Amino acid sequence: MFYIHQSSCISPQQTFKDADLTVLHGPVEKQLKAIEPTYDAIPPGVLRRMGKAVRMGAGSALPLLQEHGKTDGIIIATANAGKEDCVKFLDQIVQYEEGMLTPLNFVQSTPNAIAGQLGLITKNHGYNITHLHQGLAFENALMDADMRLAEYPDHQYLLGAVDDISVSSYTFEEKEGWHKQEDISNKDLYNADSPGSIAGEAAVMFLVNNIAAGAKAKLVAVDTLHSTDEHIIKERLTFFIQQHLQNNKADLLLSGEDGDNRLAHFYDMAAAVAGNETPIAHYKHMCGAYPTASAFGLWIACEIFKAGALPEHMTGSLLKVSYKNILLYNSYRGYQHSFMLVSVA
Amino acid sequence: MDRIVVTGIGVISAIGNNVAENRHALINRNCGMGKLEMFPSHFSGILPVGEIKISNESLQKKLQVHEPGVTRTSLLALHALQEALQESRLTPAEIAAYDTALISANTVGGMCLTDEMYHDSKKETGSSEYISSYDYGSINRFLQSRFHFSGPINTINTACSSSANAIMYGARLIKSGRVKRAIVGGTDSLAKFTINGFNSLRILSNEICTPFDEGRKGLNLGEGAAFLVLEKESEASSKKIYAALSGYANANDAFHASSLSDDAAGPYKVMKEALEVAGLSPADIGFINAHGTGTENNDLVESIAMKKLFSEIPPFASTKANTGHTLGAAAAIEAVYAILNLSEQEIYPAINFNVPITATGLIPADSYRKAELEHVMSNSFGFGGNCSSLIFSRA
Repeated sequence: MFYIHQSSCISPQQTFKDADLTVLHGPVEKQLKAIEPTYDAIPPGVLRRMGKAVRMGAGSALPLLQEHGKTDGIIIATANAGKEDCVKFLDQIVQYEEGMLTPLNFVQSTPNAIAGQLGLITKNHGYNITHLHQGLAFENALMDADMRLAEYPDHQYLLGAVDDISVSSYTFEEKEGWHKQEDISNKDLYNADSPGSIAGEAAVMFLVNNIAAGAKAKLVAVDTLHSTDEHIIKERLTFFIQQHLQNNKADLLLSGEDGDNRLAHFYDMAAAVAGNETPIAHYKHMCGAYPTASAFGLWIACEIFKAGALPEHMTGSLLKVSYKNILLYNSYRGYQHSFMLVSVA
Repeated sequence: MDRIVVTGIGVISAIGNNVAENRHALINRNCGMGKLEMFPSHFSGILPVGEIKISNESLQKKLQVHEPGVTRTSLLALHALQEALQESRLTPAEIAAYDTALISANTVGGMCLTDEMYHDSKKETGSSEYISSYDYGSINRFLQSRFHFSGPINTINTACSSSANAIMYGARLIKSGRVKRAIVGGTDSLAKFTINGFNSLRILSNEICTPFDEGRKGLNLGEGAAFLVLEKESEASSKKIYAALSGYANANDAFHASSLSDDAAGPYKVMKEALEVAGLSPADIGFINAHGTGTENNDLVESIAMKKLFSEIPPFASTKANTGHTLGAAAAIEAVYAILNLSEQEIYPAINFNVPITATGLIPADSYRKAELEHVMSNSFGFGGNCSSLIFSRA
């Protein structure tokens, strides 16, 4: 597919600029909240008016857009962006009984605000799009970038995913039963044996193009499907592995398991398909559960290639590694599934 | 490379419940604007809207939707999708095949239930049957479970140009070899949310909208849905082909969050690039379905862009004067109209137009007529600077 050159990540862990994954930061009030930097790249007047998702998106993307040459377009994935302003505007409608309302929340409630703001701030007139499809929004963004780079082989794109925890998005998920009732440490996420997970958030950005030289990683393939039938998902994952991996074996399975015991059987299935010899690492205890979390998984995969080591909290024991490829499997709420294969460049 | 052809179309809007009714209304200069009746709002009777006069209960009954939590946005989508699928004669097996994509767009999702969403967003209150139906992806999830789609599914948002990008993404999935066919479109229903939102921006007119008229006072919101079935021409040899999708482009105006630049950078760029993708020159375009919202800003900037690109401006009109601005559905509905221009070889007149804009002097198509059309362009521009243009060509 294409090559990943630069990456940037604002997450509940120390991932922005100088990443340090050895220390695991835990949840606050049952939420894994992003460690937000000071956002030096955003003009203060503009920053004040930004909602959290736009702020995190712009804050993670602008260093890449400003420091690494021409970018031909902006491809963003988000499922929740805008929800905070959306509910604020709803509150206005109800509170003032459809009276004289201020438009700021309405304008910012549109989920294309991140891509739009990035286009505006960097005067980028190129391709500009926002993918929203829940737990597969980021995978669709990947496919979009892949198609653009086939259509315009010398282009470079900003490709990213942003979802934030807002009071309202948290309340919706809480009512739908996607959070753990008990207050647990993220260290214990995979042993909890209870429904739900810990809410999370992050903004992850990549610069991608067709140039192998100097790349951090190569995205080899991505596939998605909607199903709740484990057998169908198993068939598709098996086919995916056969199609894209020599010896049908991945060096590492980076599992999107999120500690929800209702979904654990999907991840057990993926581990079985990957095979006994393939070690497993996790990442949702670091970023929490949110729709575009697989983007954080891809960022982690790039870091694993770079660091050559995995911290103990990801695997259960410290691993020194020289992986050539990493398979990612993720399920969103048990009905959306994605497979990604990423390799060293 | 095979052409990408349209083998099925379906539409529901304020001017008709299917393709035939919409065409009849366009020929007869029908305007769908009227009083908001389907839900209570302060603005009912104050701001005209393009509302579909079928209640949710009637839609549910007609479409045999018995499951809980299905919003009007999803019902309208299903209505249009069913018509497009019937027209294309796709089998249930083809619809459920892994090489069939479902790509659609919307901008309100389940927020048409503004009051329910308000209550569901608060910790203190219980949750309604719609708790999982507010987000943008919920519409495709409903359609997926109804038709058992197993190929790529995507929900796209570029504000008011959203469904143009759904159409584009589907076409590119076919072009790239990822799928053989793509069902693409858009849907949106009227909502207190959007009525109050656009009103707070002061771009809604309290009169029937008058696109490209010097005296225009703003837009009227509408609702509706439209879907197209796109297939590789070689896969559709035995089918009726309505038109081919030959050009498309997306670009950003990069000027302002909610208005277009004076020099029309974005609108000009997408029209030009869509022509390049289609391998056409401006003179090849026989008709333009303009974005034409009826706002001060849009119609002036779009006129400037057309004047910049075309040495002789082809006949053009905005069907938002008929349907209202249906937001996430608009580009798909207007794509259906552009396809009808080609398949029926006819031009539908602009309505509610009297006096050209002083600065640009452009006069939209004034009467219904048969016309030899080879290529029709359809423009869509949205908040966030998101501009798109599509070109359809004769079958």
